[in-house]
Amino acid sequence: MIEFKLPDIGEGTAEGEIVKWLVSTGDAVKEHQAIVEVMTDKATVEVPAPADGTITELLVGEGDTVPVGDVIFRLDNGGGAPAQAASPEPAAAPSAPSAPTAPSVPSAPTAVAAQPEPSGGKVLAVPSARRVARELSVDLGTVAGSGRNGVIRRADVEAAATGGAVAQSSHSVVAPSTAQAQRIPFRGVRRKIAEAMVRSSQTAVHFTIVEEVDVTDLVRVRQKAKAIGAEQGIKVTFMPFIMKAVANGLMKFPMLNGHLDEQAEEIVLPGTVNLGIATDTPNGLIVPVISQVESKGLLQLAAELGDLSERTRAGRVRPEELRGSTFSITNAGNIGGTIATPIINFPDIAILGVHRIVKRPGVVDTPEGEVIEVRQYMNFSCSVDHRLADGADAARFVAYLRQILEEPALLSL
Amino acid sequence: MTETLKMIEADGSAPSFNGALDDKALVYCYRTMLMVRAFDDICMKLQRSGRIGFSIPNKGVEATQVGAASALRSTDFFFPSYRDFGMALHHGAEPVEMMHNMFGNASDSARGRQMPVHFSFTKPLRFFSISSPIGTHLPQAVGAAFASQAQGKDDVSLASFGDGGTSSTGFHSALNMAGVWKAPVIFLCQNNGWAISLPSSGQTASDGYAIKAKAYGMPGVTVDGNDLLAVNRAVSEAAERARAGEGPTLIEAFTYRMGGHSTSDDPTKYVPAEELEKWAKKDPVLRMQRFLAQRGLWDEALEETLQAECAAEVAAAAKEAQATPGPTLETIFSDVYETLPNHLRRQGEQAFDLAARKGDADAGGGAFPL
Repeated sequence: MIEFKLPDIGEGTAEGEIVKWLVSTGDAVKEHQAIVEVMTDKATVEVPAPADGTITELLVGEGDTVPVGDVIFRLDNGGGAPAQAASPEPAAAPSAPSAPTAPSVPSAPTAVAAQPEPSGGKVLAVPSARRVARELSVDLGTVAGSGRNGVIRRADVEAAATGGAVAQSSHSVVAPSTAQAQRIPFRGVRRKIAEAMVRSSQTAVHFTIVEEVDVTDLVRVRQKAKAIGAEQGIKVTFMPFIMKAVANGLMKFPMLNGHLDEQAEEIVLPGTVNLGIATDTPNGLIVPVISQVESKGLLQLAAELGDLSERTRAGRVRPEELRGSTFSITNAGNIGGTIATPIINFPDIAILGVHRIVKRPGVVDTPEGEVIEVRQYMNFSCSVDHRLADGADAARFVAYLRQILEEPALLSL
Repeated sequence: MTETLKMIEADGSAPSFNGALDDKALVYCYRTMLMVRAFDDICMKLQRSGRIGFSIPNKGVEATQVGAASALRSTDFFFPSYRDFGMALHHGAEPVEMMHNMFGNASDSARGRQMPVHFSFTKPLRFFSISSPIGTHLPQAVGAAFASQAQGKDDVSLASFGDGGTSSTGFHSALNMAGVWKAPVIFLCQNNGWAISLPSSGQTASDGYAIKAKAYGMPGVTVDGNDLLAVNRAVSEAAERARAGEGPTLIEAFTYRMGGHSTSDDPTKYVPAEELEKWAKKDPVLRMQRFLAQRGLWDEALEETLQAECAAEVAAAAKEAQATPGPTLETIFSDVYETLPNHLRRQGEQAFDLAARKGDADAGGGAFPL
């Protein structure tokens, strides 16, 4: 068994981003066969197999950044005990590799990374971290490095810019015994997000209603739609179904779809649904808009969503695509949590928070009577501006959402 | 620019070829070029899988290396740049010796104390250690040439460097003193288009590099560096002049680096794709292949045999070098003086004692030592 550690593929490379796996678990590979594409500060390269064998495990997800020296895959070459194909770091502590399917999101601000001793004004950082720091106006001197010897990685800068702290890598320096407070400049994207949140929270009168939806059927329908989408190169997630249901619901309950024009003292109900999709990007929370959702089919929505999210994460979204939402959906709940109180994307009237799907026992009516089955559930948290709509409106809206998502055929209504 | 010497046409014909290399030598040159490619290819994969730290590819400049080597004796002095190991291969260096260097193991002649690709070969070769600093080996080449002149020997020195090397102080010092002393040295400037990522257009205000010879009082020659026969002729003529006591020559071989500067470099960030495409059509290996085919010395069967031989030889070399353990701790002390002085003996004993208590140091842990 070979534990393949990410090698230093440039001179003094600190970390690499897994761009694409070129093999799958269980594949038989030849020595020198390309296994994975890795992007470093210097180049994107194909990393080949160190020996003939079978891939037993891919340990890192595409899009994840790993420090040099972390095991990225395991290769069974017929040998016994784990051998090290490349050992850039002597006796590195085993790190917890992120699950290959885990979404790439900044970690929650739980722990403050150990801060290296100030070294006469000289800050150790990888080149991409310096570039991102310039772009986000982050002072590197205030960022704690989680890399080897306290070197600042790109993720550290991004975490500092959004107020979080990146998870410690296995190579980090030993935390000093006395805790040091971290001071992060409050500016850039973080500042902009803060201003928008304050405006929304201080203007709109938020109330939140939570609904539980049995999505067992939707999961099955989506599985089929996914296969059909794949034939056309379209990635079909749950989001297009939710968008479609929301659009149908808003056409039925239009008082939740629009905004308040305070100057004219008018509530504006546009009659079309332009959905803002809250997107988590390396530069912070950004909400691009997909317009006229009510008139679009599921596959078209899936295609537009895929394109827009990708461009948003890559920072290539056009300014006009960030304006004109009439309602927003936020998907942050897929990480954890069962309910939330989403803040309205001001000046929209309402916002829907979507939570992760969980399996639980549920009571199902059958011709033979009530039985308990393993069902799949998803929670929705809908925040509404109470100035413009009342609790009953919101309750009817989410009840309608539940109705059509529990029986996806109703989506075509 | 001075007129460029060229012998092999695009179709492989070479009307001006006078038989300076016999059929056997021509095929051998071709095989060496293929061996350079095979060695490059496997080193790239070894590096990407973390088994060696670094490598420097040669694709595109093989004709210059092998053409120059084929014009000189094994016992002439070679002062190479880091993109020249084809010269050593041509004069009998074994791929496995080179591979030991790539792994920096116990069988490496430098015991892992040099960077990968920084080969040196002795007996019978006089292939001086490749060094990373640019242009420092040029004055050394002149020194060796001056010494052989002073001793009345007819050895010549070859100093090989890139277009970037002409901006070093060593270039000026070396050419100036070689001109003054009429030292038997050949300056081979491989203008391969790029000094890492700096294009040749950013390197000099001169009309090419060969013209610089004029200022130092020596002939300057421009040659098609992708044409093995032309490089062979230019270097042969320079060697004849040197051995006859007529002094140094500056040769500019016009060629193109078709890969990255090193394994740490991403040429797609700065090399225009259309430029690479243009030069791919002038691939020196294909050019030599067409020439051999025209003379009835090449066919598909030969190609297959040679490719298979080269691939097998470098693969076996890699396997052997990978299986060879690293240099022992003792070599740090034992290779400095013929007899170990007392202060080093004491240091050594302390180091062994520490290693015995804490485990042998895995120096650098395989990470690149910068």
